[in-house]
Amino acid sequence: MESTVFFEKIPMGPPRDKIYHRLGYKKLTTEISALQQKETDALIHEASSLIALQGMSLRLKISQNDGETISVSGNLMFRSKKLSAFLRNCREVILMGATSGSAIMEAIRDKTGRNDLTAAVVYDATASEMTDGALEWIMQYMNQALRREGKTLLPRRFSAGYADFALENQKIIYEKLQMDKFGVQINPSYILIPEKSVTAITGIY
Amino acid sequence: MIAATKIKNLLAKKILILDGATGTELQKRGLPAGVCPELWCLDNPQVIKDVHAAYRKAGAQIVYTCTFGANRYKLKQYGVQEEVYSVNLQLARLAREACGRETLIAGDIGPTGLFIEPFGPLAFEEAVDAFKEQARGLIDGGCDLIVIETMIDIQEARAALLAVRELSDIFTMVSMTYEKDGHTLGGTPPQSALITLQSLGANTVGCNCSAGPEQMIDFIKMMKPYATVPLLAKPNAGMPKLKDGVTVFEMDAKTFASFGSDLSKAGANLLGGCCGTTPEHIRALSRAVSRKKPTSPVRKSISALSSARGFLEINENSPLYIVGERINPTGKKSLQQELTEGKLNIIRQMAQEQEAQGAALLDVNIGQPGIDEIQTIKNVVGLLSSASRLPLAIDSSRIETIEAALRLYPGRMLINSISGEKEKVSKLLPLAAKYGAMFILLPLTGGELPKTAKKRQTIIDNIFRKAQKFGFTKDDFVVDGLTMAVASDAHAGRETLATINWCKNTFKCKTILGLSNVSFGMPGRPWLNAAFLAMAQYCGLTMAIANPASVEFTNVQKAGDALTAREKASLQFINHFSQQTAPQTPGPVEKSSPEEKVVKAILDGEKENIVVLLEEALRTGRQAAELVDEVMIPSIVRVGDLYEKKIYFLPQLMAAAETMKKGLAHLDPLLKKTAQADKGKVLLATVRGDIHDIGKNIVALLLKNYGYCVIDLGKDVSDQVIVSAARKEKPDVIGLSALMTTTMVNMKEVITLARENGINTDFLIGGAVVTEDFARSIGANFARDGVEAVKVVEKIIKRH
Repeated sequence: MESTVFFEKIPMGPPRDKIYHRLGYKKLTTEISALQQKETDALIHEASSLIALQGMSLRLKISQNDGETISVSGNLMFRSKKLSAFLRNCREVILMGATSGSAIMEAIRDKTGRNDLTAAVVYDATASEMTDGALEWIMQYMNQALRREGKTLLPRRFSAGYADFALENQKIIYEKLQMDKFGVQINPSYILIPEKSVTAITGIY
Repeated sequence: MIAATKIKNLLAKKILILDGATGTELQKRGLPAGVCPELWCLDNPQVIKDVHAAYRKAGAQIVYTCTFGANRYKLKQYGVQEEVYSVNLQLARLAREACGRETLIAGDIGPTGLFIEPFGPLAFEEAVDAFKEQARGLIDGGCDLIVIETMIDIQEARAALLAVRELSDIFTMVSMTYEKDGHTLGGTPPQSALITLQSLGANTVGCNCSAGPEQMIDFIKMMKPYATVPLLAKPNAGMPKLKDGVTVFEMDAKTFASFGSDLSKAGANLLGGCCGTTPEHIRALSRAVSRKKPTSPVRKSISALSSARGFLEINENSPLYIVGERINPTGKKSLQQELTEGKLNIIRQMAQEQEAQGAALLDVNIGQPGIDEIQTIKNVVGLLSSASRLPLAIDSSRIETIEAALRLYPGRMLINSISGEKEKVSKLLPLAAKYGAMFILLPLTGGELPKTAKKRQTIIDNIFRKAQKFGFTKDDFVVDGLTMAVASDAHAGRETLATINWCKNTFKCKTILGLSNVSFGMPGRPWLNAAFLAMAQYCGLTMAIANPASVEFTNVQKAGDALTAREKASLQFINHFSQQTAPQTPGPVEKSSPEEKVVKAILDGEKENIVVLLEEALRTGRQAAELVDEVMIPSIVRVGDLYEKKIYFLPQLMAAAETMKKGLAHLDPLLKKTAQADKGKVLLATVRGDIHDIGKNIVALLLKNYGYCVIDLGKDVSDQVIVSAARKEKPDVIGLSALMTTTMVNMKEVITLARENGINTDFLIGGAVVTEDFARSIGANFARDGVEAVKVVEKIIKRH
């Protein structure tokens, strides 16, 4: 049960509406010309061709959840009241991680260096949404397998740095998921590199 | 095989009933959580026999063995990976014992839980080997047929199907699992999976799990027009719901069965149940469809190609299909270089560009001396399987290269090409048949180019007869009309056109041409090519290998399609030419003043026009400083206002800011002579430990636009460097950014260090996790975004 599943290629297109939303687009309010829309879409397309989504997940048993601390198989312990409450009805958790790879980050830096911040912000938003979408995809994948067991995942997920679940926990999740296998590193501030990399935890009902 | 014939005969007469869920039935009978169901069944044989028998009694004519997870990867989790054959064999025998000879036993193969090359880490051949291991046990255990089910990865379904096909000609069903959006999690639509799997030899294709019966009707409807095989549907008992911490399927047997009629009308030939269904559901379903007549497949063959994420049906009356020709190293030094170095960036780019330019499929030729062609084609097929939705045509003179591509490609591909040469016919036709590929029939034989249409017709006919022996029909190939240069033979064009005409009207098959050969060695090549294309379209040409970026080609193609009344071609012609930029004609006299044009350029982010427009404004006698203060700054302020009101979104704000920046840079030499001193100096940095700097970069750009002098120290800047720079530069404001909670705290340390060094400059902070309260708590100002940052800086400087 405790072996990490690696997803070398997560097949996902760019979630256009979410990317527009992240860029501040508001339906019925924001006014963009057909040309601006075409240019933005082309940048999203360019960005997505530079993104190589990869991910991993690990299913672990909860040995204890006392409302403040969650102990998980493999000698893991997370201290967070909010996370405890989130997982209160679960006996197992899924740790998951995803990265969009380094090519897109190099492209963002390159565009910024060339004073093309328009492209840089669209690339940035595309990478953010696609990386987040990769976690969504992993959850769907896990749900497929769990359905056979009569189980399902909680519909949401929790990330280190959110509420009282300290960012320091990202290192624990990073190591447990062996994210270095896909070239992801973590710095002393617990920031994942490449920057468009994420981790999360959710529960199994 | 007797069972296969029996199943085919049954399917011609009635809708066959499959069983329902096994896992939930076992749980009801005591299967504990967390144990291996297969091993538990072997320890409790009567329980699984009871489940099988219950489904048989309920009316199931085909019962699945309880071997869904009995592959080496799943069994490894329980330490019994060495017992794959034995577990499958025993469970198949238990199913037979429970159901007797009257009920058909389907050996069940489920997913490994791993993704297969080129989509995942498991090597394709290793996956094939693992499925063979399982299938051997099932076949030796006496199964009448094999079912490969709940597949979310088309490549895994292919690996399993190939494994079974390489062992036996046993009747095989393959069923995929689709999400609500009508795709597998791997992004494969039902039509694409169907085309791939039926051409690879699946006797039945369909869907199971994930969806309830209502949604599965849609999936069956999507597949039916393309199906040459019967379709199966095994839906869940509705969608799962969480009730008191337990997943439940609420659809009762009666409701479930009520969809049987619509599923059969939609074209399903085999019906059963998946998660949440019980013998009661199957009994009700069996009754509901017992008198329904099955809808047979609507066709015996299909001209269609597929990729992992898309498909292409090739119809005679459709607009001409363009086969993108650019992925070919001949004459392309950069591509040659990349292939030599094992890089694939240019190929990815070429694929995406051709797709955007309207290619229907991609021709792939990687023939080049000095490379490992087999490994290269595998890498390219792997890349393009993810990077493009378009099906591939593999263009190689080497049989091994084509075979490597056929084996790995997760779709139905087009072989370019099979000629009448003995070796090609004897080796490539069996390969095309095994992998279910379409092929380009090249009318060449005996090492000679047949000059006349008559000779070509004879060769085409001969190759077709040989292909028929492998089960091919005229839907399975397209004939290359053979384009020869008119420079060397004045009749070359005419003979090719006559070949196309004969194929279309007499032989009744589809055709393809590589057009540009016709003009080789001639002047005015685009004109010859264009005329040849139009004539070939008139003769009925189906596909052309060409560069979709060629304007001449696409213009003539659209016109030719419209004139030959191809399906929806007139509309496409109108759309094509409506989108092209209208030629510049003298319009009404431009009434905008130069200043107004500058304003518009900034508001619209017309970076490319701003310099010309500023020059125009300067020629009217306006001073550069006036243009900045009275025209440009108010424009960018208006942009900021529009952004704050959400009328503009971030790319518009950035485009305007970049236009402004370019304009200011252009005016800079003039401003030095006349402009006032800078509005103020701002020092910016992303704090120690943080590498996220896009927000800071936006702030820097906007501040520069408003006339501030910005010193940007970059990202992950130490406290000491920031303080030293502050001491040296004496800025009016120090701006700090951080994205994470762990780095946000470093802002406080920077401010503390600055104060200890006697620096009393105002601080402005921002970033995703930074709040106004936090800013106040550390004695700093706060800005939500770049536009607000400019306003806050303005206020701070005014205060001084």
